[in-house]
Amino acid sequence: MGYFLLRRSVGFILTLFAVSVVVFAVMNVLPGDPALTILGLDATEDALAALRDQLGLNDPLLTRYWSWVTNALTGDFGVSHSFRVPVAGLIAERLPMTISLAVSGMIFTVVLALVLGIAAAANHRKAGDWGIMFVSQLGIAVPAFWLAMLLVLVFAVNLRWLPPGGFPGWSDPVAAMRALILPTVALALVQSSVLARVTRSSALEVMRQDYVRTARASGFSRRRVLWRHVLPNALVPIVTIVGMQFAALVTGTIVIENVFYLPGLGRLIFQSIANRDLPTVQALVMLFAAIVVTANFIVDLLYVVIDPRLKARA
Amino acid sequence: MKLPVNLLIGAVLVALVLGAAALSLLWTPHDFTQLNVRNKFAAPDATYWLGTDQLGRDLVSQLTAGARNSMAVALAAVLLGGSIGTALGLLAAAIGGWVEDLVMRIADIGFAFPALLFAIMLAAVFGPSLTNAVLAIAFINIPVFARVARAAANQVWTREYVAAARAAGLNRFAISKDHILPNIAAPVIVQATIEFAVAILAEAALSYLGLGAQPPSPTWGRMLSEAQTLMYQAPQLAVYPGLCIVAAVMGFGLLGDGLRDVTDPRLVRER
Amino acid sequence: MFELDQLSVSFGTATALREATLTIRPGDRLGVVGESGSGKTMLGLSLMGMAPDAAQVTGRLTVDGQEMTGAGEADWQRLRARKVAMIFQEPMSALNPLRRVGDTVADPLRIHMGLSAAEADARALDLFREVGMPDPEARLRQFPHEMSGGQRQRVLIALALACDPALLIADEPTTALDANIRLRITDLLARLADQRGMALLFISHDLAAVARATTEIAVMYGGDIVERGATPAVLKDPAHPYTRGLLGARPDPAPQPRRNGKRPRLPTIPGTVPALGDLAPGCRFSGRCPVELAHCATVRPEMRDLGGRFAACHALEGGA
Ligand SMILES: Nc1ncnc2c1ncn2[C@@H]1O[C@H](COP(=O)(O)OP(=O)(O)O)[C@@H](O)[C@H]1O
Ligand code: SF4
Ligand SMILES: [Mg+2]
Repeated sequence: MGYFLLRRSVGFILTLFAVSVVVFAVMNVLPGDPALTILGLDATEDALAALRDQLGLNDPLLTRYWSWVTNALTGDFGVSHSFRVPVAGLIAERLPMTISLAVSGMIFTVVLALVLGIAAAANHRKAGDWGIMFVSQLGIAVPAFWLAMLLVLVFAVNLRWLPPGGFPGWSDPVAAMRALILPTVALALVQSSVLARVTRSSALEVMRQDYVRTARASGFSRRRVLWRHVLPNALVPIVTIVGMQFAALVTGTIVIENVFYLPGLGRLIFQSIANRDLPTVQALVMLFAAIVVTANFIVDLLYVVIDPRLKARA
Repeated sequence: MKLPVNLLIGAVLVALVLGAAALSLLWTPHDFTQLNVRNKFAAPDATYWLGTDQLGRDLVSQLTAGARNSMAVALAAVLLGGSIGTALGLLAAAIGGWVEDLVMRIADIGFAFPALLFAIMLAAVFGPSLTNAVLAIAFINIPVFARVARAAANQVWTREYVAAARAAGLNRFAISKDHILPNIAAPVIVQATIEFAVAILAEAALSYLGLGAQPPSPTWGRMLSEAQTLMYQAPQLAVYPGLCIVAAVMGFGLLGDGLRDVTDPRLVRER
Repeated sequence: MFELDQLSVSFGTATALREATLTIRPGDRLGVVGESGSGKTMLGLSLMGMAPDAAQVTGRLTVDGQEMTGAGEADWQRLRARKVAMIFQEPMSALNPLRRVGDTVADPLRIHMGLSAAEADARALDLFREVGMPDPEARLRQFPHEMSGGQRQRVLIALALACDPALLIADEPTTALDANIRLRITDLLARLADQRGMALLFISHDLAAVARATTEIAVMYGGDIVERGATPAVLKDPAHPYTRGLLGARPDPAPQPRRNGKRPRLPTIPGTVPALGDLAPGCRFSGRCPVELAHCATVRPEMRDLGGRFAACHALEGGA
């Protein structure tokens, strides 16, 4: 167990390291002059030179990489060019928005997918199963941003039940939750289509197992057998997909924030691209990639929590 | 043999989308760049089958041209990423040992970058363009194909005829080319079909966000991003391009699933 | 009391259980023998209301007078564990791998008997002691993968006994176990049935085990019960040609000697069991029967009373 933890942790740190190298390389090594990118073609040579100096572009690459990483580890992501404030502060301001959206999206995704997937498995080869399978097949093919637009069209433009976008902040919790409903649904419906299918096939596999028959023979209700015996045993593949989906979900927030004009990290990335604010983009891309890697690391650890047999082997 | 339903539906949808894309190369009902501001937001009629947009451009013509762009991007990205990834997977299986481990670890790292993040980096450095979108989508395909190709190749390496080829003195790379590659074609093609669907979705999202095709080239994603600002005046503009994306993605997705059911009887899944 | 009247289980044209008529009274210990595929498990599952979804079940089944033919899942749930419990053939896979075995046994006690968690745990410990689990306190906290096959089978027996059922069905409870503990599990089941006054339906391939554990026996072939009677009498003097084949025409019902630790298998009867759908409409054994008569394949033989024993065979008609 200790060895397993150690190995996974080392792997996690190595992956983060490799990811940071890739981000740094793409943003700094690829042909191109960041100073020129930032200031534009009509910049004076003096201004360019001054900016290069300020960005540390004249230092050797390794030095620049090293100071970027070590500063980042202490919470210093450099200074934003467009906002002229520390990037860390920009991130801190917008992080709650993005986390709210990602967390509500994830919860809704998982709950919906488990309910639909188990319901489909329980009604195997019946109308309910076919219906859920058809809808999820459709859901997989629907772009989240388009679904978001349709939701706005119906619930904001036509019915006027919910706001079409924007976020009032958590000081007014009711308004905040109302503002999160459509973005959450848009984010989660597509993801839960994938997860519901995985849940269904995993549950069907488990339902054939002898111990499910034992649970039935113990006189337990169908519901109890499904949720207490089938679902826990079906979780390993489900958790794998949840881990992979977390990546999709987190990057999904970037898209959804732009559809709903939500002031989170996703909006910040696009403002920064438009403003040619390279240090901010670099920090944000690294942050998102780190979240993805961390999610996968947590999934690795979760397997052991779910399945005592793996603990023995780990 | 009875063909699976998903294969048939998928094939029909794919044929429709590819047909529209191919036709648009030769002919569209109207010039999709033709502005006609006096005829903006026209309702569907015999001339403009689905009406016109805010600049009076014909929707059907834009949609078919969008199909062509979507297909081109997906094809380029999957071909590029797929061939690099397949080559890496073949190499990993052929050499084994630490090379295989290394390739697979690098592939794992690739999974940390969704296409969107990669596209964002490229857009930030080089400015947004369709080429960058293609590169970003191709990049995420590399680890996917590396895994599929390696897993399939490792199985083929255990076969008798490979042992025979080795005994005959062929080296590992020649065997990979002559014996392994043809025998992993089926799973690779299946994966390519599925990744084609993923690529269409990715391209649509990137174009919608302005990280893909730039005006005036029409793509479904860009049409949607323009429609979003007009949601109160012309909600219908937000509907058709989305339907096209769904049809194309579903078509390739179902086709891929169906092909897998047909080519890999071991994998026939409970449905 | 469990009464089956012409109970049949079929899958389309394939009949896995044909018009089984049988009464199981409190305290009965009934052995069921027959080759693989003869419908033994299907008989057990029918008594649990657990025939596969695809099966059509016809005929009558009453439990203590309550009509269970066509009963819904909810009605059966009330009977399972409390009235009738079943132990399945494969102890390695019959336990939920994610639950501690103590919890698995305690669950039905909490849910069906209304015991508190602490009471249920205490009761589970008693049950573990009753089934002869070594080191029972520690075992309660273990997961199935940490136990041997024999220990898991004891867990399953404890689970089956938890709610004090009137009938325990044991479907080949020793087939998957090591030879050296087969006997102990067999004796345990017989002793438990005896002590608790519980009826036992003991399905087995192992004639020696059936001889030890049961007082009555039913022989099955092709979905039919072909012979029934007191265990010693049937094993000593089988009436039905199939039973005779099964026993290898041995007059001696004593356990076969164990050769190099292998369990004594049913002696093989020439030919193979045909697919269910290919069975003759008359006597299921026709085609393999050494004393077959002209009308055997088309006319179904009636169950005949041979003086406290029963067999269904045309060759026994008009005499014996
Ligand atoms: N779901 C099913 N569909 C069709 N046939 C089945 C099904 N389940 C069992 N059977 C058939 O029922 C017959 C009786 O099986 P079973 O009761 O398990 O025999 P036994 O326990 O005596 O070996 C077998 O021939 C088996 O093939
Ligand atoms: S009925 Fe006929 S075929 Fe059947 S066992 Fe008796 S003699 Fe043999
Ligand atoms: Mg059986």
